[in-house]
Order: sequence, then structure tokens, then C-alpha cells
Amino acid sequence: MADIVVVGEIQNGVVTDATQELLTRARDLATARSRSVAVLAFGKDAEAAVKTADADEAVVVVDQAVEEYNPGVYEATLVTWLTENPALLILLSNTTMGMDLGAALAARLQIAMIAYCTDLRIEGSSELATCQIYGGKLAAEVELPDRAVVTVIPGSWAASGRSGIPMVHRFNAQPSPISVVKVIEPDASGDVDITRADILVSVGRGIQDPDNLELADELAQAIGGVVSCSRPVVDAGWLPRSRQVGKSGQTVKPKLYLALGISGAPEHLQGMKDAELIVAVNSDENAPIFDVAHYGATADILDLMPALTEKLNGRNG
Amino acid sequence: MALRGWLMAITVALIVVSLGLFLRRLNTIFQVMRKARPARRGDHLGERFKSLFTNVVLHRRMFRITYSGVLHYFIFSGFVVLLIDIVETIGEVFFPGFTVGRILAPLVDIWVILVAIGIVLALYQRIIIRPARFHGSDEKDAYLILGMIGAIITGIVIHDSFYPFVAREVFHVADPVARSHFLGYALSGLWRALGWTGPRAASIGYTVGYLMDLGVVFAFLAYLPYSKHLHIFAAVPNIFVRNLGPKGELVPQPIEDSMAIRTFQDLTWKDIHDLYTCTECGRCQAVCPAYAAGQPLSPKMVILELRDALNERIAWGTVNDPTQPALAGGVVSAAELWACTTCGACQEACPVFIEHVPKIAGMRAALLEDGNVDANAQKVLVSWDRQGNSFGQAARKRSAWAKNIDVPIKDARKEAVDWLWFVGDFAALDPRVQRLTQLIARLLHHAGVDFGILFESEVNAGNEALRLGEYGLFETLAQKNIKALNQAQYRHIFTTDPHSLNALKNEYRKFGFHAEVMHYTEAFLTLIDRGQLAVEPVGLTATYHDPCYLGRWNGITEAPRQLLQRLGVNLVEMPRHGAQSFCCGAGGGRIWMDETGIEDRPANQRIREALALPDVRFFVVACPKDVSMFSASVTAMGVEDRLRVVDMAELLAVAVGLPDVAESDLRSFPNEAGILS
Amino acid sequence: MRIAVLMKDVPDLVEELEVEDGALPLDDMSFVPSEWDDQALEEALLIKEETGADVTVVAIDTGEVDGLMFTALAKGADRAVKLAGGFSRRLANRQRGAVLAQYCQTQGFDLVMTGVQAIDDLDGQIAGWVAGNLEVGHASVVRDVRAGADTVKVVQEYSGGKMAELELPLPAVLGIQAARKPPRYVTVAKVRQLQKTASVETVDVSEPTAPTLSVRKIYKPEAAGHAQMWGDDVDEVSEKIVNLLEDKKLLRS
Ligand SMILES: Cc1cc2nc3c(=O)[nH]c(=O)nc-3n(C[C@H](O)[C@H](O)[C@H](O)COP(=O)(O)OP(=O)(O)OC[C@H]3O[C@@H](n4cnc5c(N)ncnc54)[C@H](O)[C@@H]3O)c2cc1C
Ligand code: SF4
Ligand code: SF4
Repeated sequence: MADIVVVGEIQNGVVTDATQELLTRARDLATARSRSVAVLAFGKDAEAAVKTADADEAVVVVDQAVEEYNPGVYEATLVTWLTENPALLILLSNTTMGMDLGAALAARLQIAMIAYCTDLRIEGSSELATCQIYGGKLAAEVELPDRAVVTVIPGSWAASGRSGIPMVHRFNAQPSPISVVKVIEPDASGDVDITRADILVSVGRGIQDPDNLELADELAQAIGGVVSCSRPVVDAGWLPRSRQVGKSGQTVKPKLYLALGISGAPEHLQGMKDAELIVAVNSDENAPIFDVAHYGATADILDLMPALTEKLNGRNG
Repeated sequence: MALRGWLMAITVALIVVSLGLFLRRLNTIFQVMRKARPARRGDHLGERFKSLFTNVVLHRRMFRITYSGVLHYFIFSGFVVLLIDIVETIGEVFFPGFTVGRILAPLVDIWVILVAIGIVLALYQRIIIRPARFHGSDEKDAYLILGMIGAIITGIVIHDSFYPFVAREVFHVADPVARSHFLGYALSGLWRALGWTGPRAASIGYTVGYLMDLGVVFAFLAYLPYSKHLHIFAAVPNIFVRNLGPKGELVPQPIEDSMAIRTFQDLTWKDIHDLYTCTECGRCQAVCPAYAAGQPLSPKMVILELRDALNERIAWGTVNDPTQPALAGGVVSAAELWACTTCGACQEACPVFIEHVPKIAGMRAALLEDGNVDANAQKVLVSWDRQGNSFGQAARKRSAWAKNIDVPIKDARKEAVDWLWFVGDFAALDPRVQRLTQLIARLLHHAGVDFGILFESEVNAGNEALRLGEYGLFETLAQKNIKALNQAQYRHIFTTDPHSLNALKNEYRKFGFHAEVMHYTEAFLTLIDRGQLAVEPVGLTATYHDPCYLGRWNGITEAPRQLLQRLGVNLVEMPRHGAQSFCCGAGGGRIWMDETGIEDRPANQRIREALALPDVRFFVVACPKDVSMFSASVTAMGVEDRLRVVDMAELLAVAVGLPDVAESDLRSFPNEAGILS
Repeated sequence: MRIAVLMKDVPDLVEELEVEDGALPLDDMSFVPSEWDDQALEEALLIKEETGADVTVVAIDTGEVDGLMFTALAKGADRAVKLAGGFSRRLANRQRGAVLAQYCQTQGFDLVMTGVQAIDDLDGQIAGWVAGNLEVGHASVVRDVRAGADTVKVVQEYSGGKMAELELPLPAVLGIQAARKPPRYVTVAKVRQLQKTASVETVDVSEPTAPTLSVRKIYKPEAAGHAQMWGDDVDEVSEKIVNLLEDKKLLRS
């Protein structure tokens, strides 16, 4: 029986960065309060993945029914295990799984729930969580109650890289009438929907020539994003209208909006100002795009795009 | 005797049958009009007769295209003269010895010649010139009608040429006007030469001519109401019942239930009348910015689609059948309806005063009620409802532009002001236009004007909401503004935005708000002329774009031009200016909508029109939306170094010599000599 | 089939958020329907159009929710139910979840739909709370809801564009990410007309006893205002961008 339980996520056979972060902070809190940490993970890769996790205990659920994420089976299994092994703090990442299971677990276990957490810390005798609310416009500081489920926004703090040798047990998956009919892999063909991309490499008239679009494509490839653009680029016929960001185009809210050679006309800003992170590159330091960007550079995009692509490709190996 | 009897019988039969058919058809149409919505068009009789004179007798709008004007005048006046012939010809048969006299008779022949010329010109236009405006019109019908008219005038000459012989040999009466019908008389020479002057030959020849004339006239009468040429009868009444209310007033009365047009019963009787008046001339199509942009809209086709659907439903007896396709989205497609900028160029061009925009707006309302609206426009509607502006900005931000200038701006809600300034959404909230708004505030201050604004009590005027078909939202916005306006104390009121101007001036009347709202160009002209604002000539050569909601809908074309003259601007007009200006493409909510389908943006076409003018480097605008539209076009076309979009406020600031206004910037553009005149 | 759509209104983020003494003056703020709840309503209305389902909109009365309910009725919902119990604007989601579950339990809805999240759910999302309290199957972050006789099929979204189709037995609770079509527009006149002809049913409920979170303070994180500038050196800028991506976990591992 552990005090802090991390519900882990496994991807490509390893524990995700987000789960590593949860384990890191779980260990920090546990150490300060002399408590124990358990990690619970699902799937045939789980055992290998959590074997070296920084936890005292690892619970792995191996069953055909948990190979793909199934909210019903996962929830039933977690509820059963957590009822048998009541924990003080249950940590999940604020991913689909966290959004799906967090509040439901809290309700089933009749404990509190804290969402969109970006920090967990000890201050004197209290344990505090900082949460992002109102679309990130406000932060709330909340006292951790005796028992709670907390969902944490990935990337809120760094993972320590520590490893451990947890005691590994198995636990049986619990049945649920919910079934996974089929898994749909990301569609690489067809025209992309820029409103659904996490990263947009967006080009404006600073691209100067349609041949330079190749540089943007390569960068998008390297960064794992999609190319979008301002209206004049569409007007010139260099990209289809479906790629246009702005008032008369699409409204986008990607995790990263990389604005390259875009001046930041009001009509353009209207379509992208709510992006989570905006990085603008424009040779004119007075360009209005810098008023909404979080980071800016006055480099020449025609030089920057290949340089950045190379750096990213080098890193990806 | 036999000939007369036979001709009389056939004439009576023709009259009865054709008039019967004619009236039956008119009655059917009349029944549809009776079930339609009301429209008040019986007032201002004096003005109506005057308008008949200028637009029917003088053909004012027709003559905007000289060639068509002339040819139409020939044929049109021929119809008037045809009456003389009809009276004469029937008289000859029914009352032996009847004539119209020596004065009227030759008129017939003169007009036969004019009509013939008209027909030739018309054929030349349709076959050789082929103006694009005819695209989509029923050309076969046009040829049929021209053929009939040709037959009639030929018939006239033929029966006139045989009449002298018939009069003498068969009717045994004198023909004192024989020579007056100079064409017929000339032709009778041929019959003499051929010896066809005896009773038999003359009777045959006369009958042929008589039937070609009156036979076709009555066939025409029966056919007319089924063809586009009902306009021959409908045009004059349609011009008579034209809208004489303020042009810019889309909705004359507060609406209780809905402005949506779904069925023919939702149109007004005037709308139905419009459908049968359309001549398919395509003048509206030729000036439509949406059509020019390559969008699926042509105002002519909107009218024709409605008319054809109505005719079909009349034929099948399904006018009131609710299972027929809806007018909005069925008969006229949603894509057509949403493409309209409500610029009004079509109405301005239409020689028979058809009103396209109210129909389009009404059908839009039907689409809107079914939730069929562009996603971006929908966002704007929601923002108007929630925040009172199209930018989705907090209401409090409306006066943010006033913060960083050291000009005292009074709160007109709290203290009396001389001038109340209704700022408008774009002027208040578009970051590019805010700079101009600040200039205007500084100019007013400089002129010592006691002015104020309504701060966050001002909301969008609702002009576009109404034109998108959202009457309820328009009314909500209007009531909010009227409440604030009624609380304020002011002597004059002006606005920077032509769209707001139109709403305040024309659309708020129905809620009891009447004020002489001025545009800022008018206000500054007044200030200069009163000596309150001293200006130095700026000495630039420029062209000026008339905003639709200023020039066309409100007739304010002179004030901006006089202001330019006061500012020492050498104005070079674009071919399309004043009431004939070409829309930038922003109106009617288009500025917020998806541009899919636009092949050539109207604003770009307009910039090209300006670029074609010699020595013009400045494109002067007097509407905040124009600032964004045309600057974006200049950017998109990459002609920043050739043409610069300037607002009237910038010119004023330079002419007045406001400190730290980039005068040098204007004067040095585009860094080459020779533009300062 | 009977569908309940759980809706709430949230502060309008368009307005400047002013924090007073570490809390939000909720009573002075303007409220708008939560955008994801609008998506849920739209999806429910689409199902209604396809299958003739009956759609009931349910909201907890924490102030002025009538506008939201009449708008939903004008869009095509069949009934609107307001749960009243003298609740304040500050009612937490745990409490909301309990109240809503209690009501749904008595009604026997086949499908309960709500937005995947709202901007103010500090203590967890409504879908999870309601499903947990009802102890029925649920799925969040879903779209493309296809309702059958005894089951419902949905598409659940994961990061990186991966998705899965799930099948849930009815009754079920869904947290809707996006409707198949953008939420429909409803005219001001139509809402006004509904206000005259339709009514919102009020059902009295009792306040649940679950404890609430103790929020020490609410504050504004430091605002950016202007971009932090990195200069014009291509190498340096590339380096900075890569580091930023790493920091924000935006790089593919
Ligand atoms: C009704 C309406 C709707 C509109 N809708 C949209 C819309 O949906 N989306 C949209 O984008 N626009 C829209 N516009 C157009 C908008 O006003 C601007 O014209 C447009 O956004 C400008 O695009 P841009 O930034 O690519 O071009 P520009 O404004 O010309 O900016 C190019 C920028 O690139 C920089 N640059 C040039 N070369 C380099 C280089 N080598 N390296 C780095 N930087 C360089 C320049 O400094 C400049 O700032 C709309 C306009 C109107 C009126
Ligand atoms: S109002 Fe303007 S855009 Fe609309 S149909 Fe008439 S000419 Fe075309
Ligand atoms: S509506 Fe008027 S302008 Fe247009 S085709 Fe008909 S008659 Fe001509």
C-alpha cells in the first residue's frame, strides 16, 4: 500500500516524459513526508517500462483488454485496486486519460480532485498545488486535502532522470462493457486540417518566392508540424486557402505557432493570438507580430529555416 | 363589304382572345401580389410623376449606356406611336373613311424608320458587340420579340401601301392621308407598276399587311405577359411605385415577427411586381462586385430565378404549396445570397428601379433562421450580441484608443457637448484605424471643438447585422445606442463610419430617432468653412474612393470632394465614382466571411482602376473599413511603392499642420520627384 | 432515446479579469455559455435530427442561466430544466457533479452529454464527476457520437492525431470535444419568441455535502506584453528555439 500513486502512461515501450515528471515530483513529496510511491501501468510493455522507475512499488496490469486505452477497463481496474489500496494522492497527467479518468476516479473513491495542476509543493505544514484556470489567464493556489486525485499538465516541471528498483506486482484487469472498436492512426494523406495541428510553421510574404516554401515544408517535417500561412501567400496561389490563418481563414490554437515573415496585421492576429506559444521571426523589429508573440527574433527567415531544420534533424538522429 | 366584314370579325376575335389571355395572366399575377406582404408606395405623388418624367420620358438611367439608351429610345417611343397606327388601322376598317389626319399619319412612318434602326442596332449589339451583361439572359426571347416588332412595322408599311387601292376599290371612300404615309405611298408605286391595284390584289395585300400589323400586335399582347417583355407594361408602373423613402433604409417599419423571405408570400407586392418588370438587360450584373469577383451571384439572375420559379409555380398551381423548395437556399442558392456586399450598385443601375437588396437581405434572414451562415460571420454576430462589437473585444476597450493621447475627450453621457461623435466599431477597435481615430480627436481639439463620445455605451450601429438578415440583433443594438444617444446632450452628431452613418440616419428613424447625422468629411468641411480650422494646401494628386454607404446609399459625394479641394488635393477621378463607385467588397458582412470562390477581389480590381490613372500615387478613403480593405490589397498586390492608401484624416492632419504627424512621410512618397504638383 | 445535455455558463474571457483580494468578483462579471457545452448541445441536436431523440438541457441555477436555456430551446432542445437550490456562482464542480447526478438518476436518461471541460473547472471536469457518481460508463475528449439502440459509438482523441472508436452501452456519459458541425446560430428574435412561448422547468434540489477545495488565492501569472527578443543571429536563434521546444515538451522523442 503506497501513499502516492502515479498512474503511468507507456508509449513505444517506455514511460512517457509526462509520467516521468509525475514520478519525479511524487518522489520529492514522498521524501519530504516519508511516504511511499507506487506506479501503476497498463499493457504488455508495462513491466519492462516501469522496472526501473523511481517508485517503491510498481503495479502492472497485463491483459488483452488493456493493450489499447479503454476508459471502462482502466477505470474499473483503477477503482478496484485503489479501493483495496487506498492512497493519499493519485497523480495523472492531464492527457486524454487524465481528463477521462481523473474526476471519475475522485467520484468513485469519494475524494477530492484538482485539475490543470502546474506545480505541487510543500510549504510549511501544507501541501500546495498551483493550477492553471481560465485558459491560462489566471492561476489558483490550492491546499491539497487529505486525499485527492490530481491531474498535472505535462511539461510543468522537469523530470529528474532518477531511476529505482520498485517491487513489481501484477494486478488483474477488471471487466467493463466498454469496447474499443478500432484504433485510428493519424492520417498522413489528404489535405491537412491546420486547426488540429499541434505545431504550425506559418509563413507570410517574407517567404518571397514559392520555391522557398520547400524550406518551410522541410522545417515542418523536422519539427513535426504543418505549414500554414497568411493571406497574401494564398492570394499568390502558393498555398491552398485551407492553410490560411486569420479573419477570413482559419482560427487556430496550436501548442506552438511559429510565425515566419508575417507582419501581424490585425486580420492575421485574429486567427492565431490564442495559440499557447507564439514564436515570431521577422526582420523588422517593429512588426506588430512581436506584440502578441512570446518570443521573437529579427533573423532572416530564409537563413533561419534551413539552419533550424538542420539542428532539429541532427538532434532526431 | 365582304373584306370589311371579315376583317372586323377577325379583329374582334383577336381582341377578345388576346385581351382575355392578357387579362387572365395579369389577374393570376395580381392574385400573387395580393397575397404578398404590404409596401407603402402611394405617397409623394408629385415626386412620383416627376420621376416618371425623368426616367420614362427622358430615359435618364437608360442613357447611362448611350448605345443602348438610343436604340431603346427608338423602339420604346415606337410603341407610343404604334397606338396611332392601331387606332388608324382599326378605324379604317370599322368606320369607313376614318383617318388620323395629315399630322399624325407621317409620324407613324417616321417611327417605323426609327424602330427599324433600333432593331438593327439591337441586333448588332446582341450579335456583334455581345455585352457581358447579357450573359444569362434569355436571348431567344429577345430575338422573338425583335422579330415580332419587325413584323409589325413591316405590316404597317404593307397595309398602308395597299390602303389607297382598298379605299378606292373596295371601301369606296376617299384616302386623304395616302401621301402622308410616305413609306406606304412609296411602296404603293411598286404595286402600281405590278398592276396590283385591283380590288382582289389590293384586298389580299391589305389583309396581309393588316394581319402582320394587328395580328402580331394582338399576338404580342397575349404573349407579352408570359415573356420578359411584360416590362413594356410593367416598367412604367414599377418606376411609379419605386422606393422614395431614404435610399439607405432597408427596413421601413419595425418588424414584429420576421423579415425572412421563404415563400412568394413573404415578398412584398412590389417585389413581385419587380420580378415581372425585369428586362434582363444585365446592367445590374455589369456593376455587381460579387459577380465581378467571380462569385456565383448576379443580381439579374436572382430576379430571374425568382421570376422563373414563380412562373413555374403559377403554371402548376403550386404558388402556395409549402413543399416547394424554399426561395432562400432553394430557388436562390445560399452561396449567391451570402456573396452580396449590399453595395446597392445593382439598384442604382437598374433602369426600372428593381430593388434587389431587400430581397437578398430577406432571403439571408431565412438562411440565418435555419442556422445557415458563414462560420466567421456567425462569430461576429455572437460578438455583437455579447460585447456589442465585431472584434470580440470587451465593451470597455471601445474607448481604449482615447487613452494615450493628451486630448481631453468628454463623456457625452455625463456632460453636454457641442459635437457628439459616434465612433463606430472599426474606428474604435481596429489597431490600424485607431491611429486615424486619434488623429481625428486631435484635429477636433485643434479646431477648438467641444466634443464627446459615448464610451462603452456605444455599440455597433447594427447596419451589417440587419444586412446579414439578423433583424432582432439589429434592433437590440439600435435600442442600446438610441438609449445612450437620448441620454446625451449635443447639438451636432457625426460619425467616422459610413455604415454607422447609414444606420443612424436611415434605420433608426423607425424607432423614433431623428437627427441630422453627419459624416466626418461633412463635419470637417463645415469646420473649415466656418473658419474654425485653418488648412494649408497639401498639394497632392490623388484619387478618391466613394464608400457605398456614403456615396450611393446616402448621396454624400460632394462634401468629400469639396473637402479635398479645400485641402489642396488635385483630384483625378476613377472611371467609376460618385453614385457609380465600385464596392471594396467589405459591405453586408462580407468583410468577415470566407473568401472561397473569389477569383479577383473587388478591392484589388479597384486598386488596379486607380493604378491606371496617370500620376496618381494616393488613394484617398473616407471609411475605416476601406482603410483595412485597400491597404491589404496594396500589400497583397505588392504595389506599396506605387500607390498609398490614405485616409481623409491623414490629409487633414497634414493640411492643418498637426505637430509630429508624418508630413514628410506623405510628401516624400514614393521617394521620387514629380508627385508634388 | 432521451439525451440530457448538461450546460453551464462561465465568465467571459473577453473581459479583462480583475482579481480582488485573491479571488474573482464573480458577481460583477459577465457570463457566457461554456464553449464546449455548446459543442455538446450541437452534437445532441444533430443526434436528435438523425434519430428523433428527445433532448433535455439541464443547468444548475447559479444566477442567470435562463438566457442560456432559452437559447438552447430556440436551437431545438425539447426541454430545459433548471436545478434550483439557492446555489452561488462559486458552486464547485464536485458539488455540481453530485447535484446533476442526483437529478439524472431520477430521470433515466439514456445519454448524458456535456462539454469535455470548462475554463473554470479547477476541481475536475463535470463529465467525470457525473459519471463517477452515477457509476455508469463514460468517455471524454470524444466527438462523432453515433447513437444506436442500446449502445453509442464515439471517437476519442489522443495526442498526436491518434484516435480510437469506442462503443459504450447505454446509459453513458460523454465529455464532448467538438460537434460534427460548428454550433448553429440562433437569431435573437427566435430566442425572444421562445421566451414568450416556452418555459424553463425548475426542479428543487438539495445541496450536497461533499467538501470543497480550499483555494488560498487566485492571481494573474506574469503577462508577456511584448515578445522576449532573441536577436538576429541565425545559429543562436535556432538553438533557442530548439531549447524552448525541449522545455515545452514539443519535440518528438
Ligand atoms: C477583410 C480582410 C480579411 C483579411 N483576412 C486575412 C486573413 O485571414 N489572414 C491574413 O493573414 N491576412 C488577412 N488579411 C490581410 C492582412 O490585412 C494583411 O494584408 C496580411 O496579413 C499581410 O500578410 P503578411 O504578414 O504575410 O505580409 P506583409 O504585411 O507584407 O508582411 C511581410 C513581413 O515579412 C517580413 N519579411 C520580409 N522578408 C523577410 C525575411 N527574409 N526574413 C524575415 N522577415 C521578412 C517583413 O518585415 C514583413 O513584416 C485580411 C485583410 C482584410 C481587409
Ligand atoms: S448589392 Fe452589390 S453585391 Fe449585392 S447584388 Fe447588388 S451589386 Fe451585387
Ligand atoms: S434587374 Fe434591372 S438592371 Fe438587372 S437585368 Fe433586370 S432590369 Fe436590368
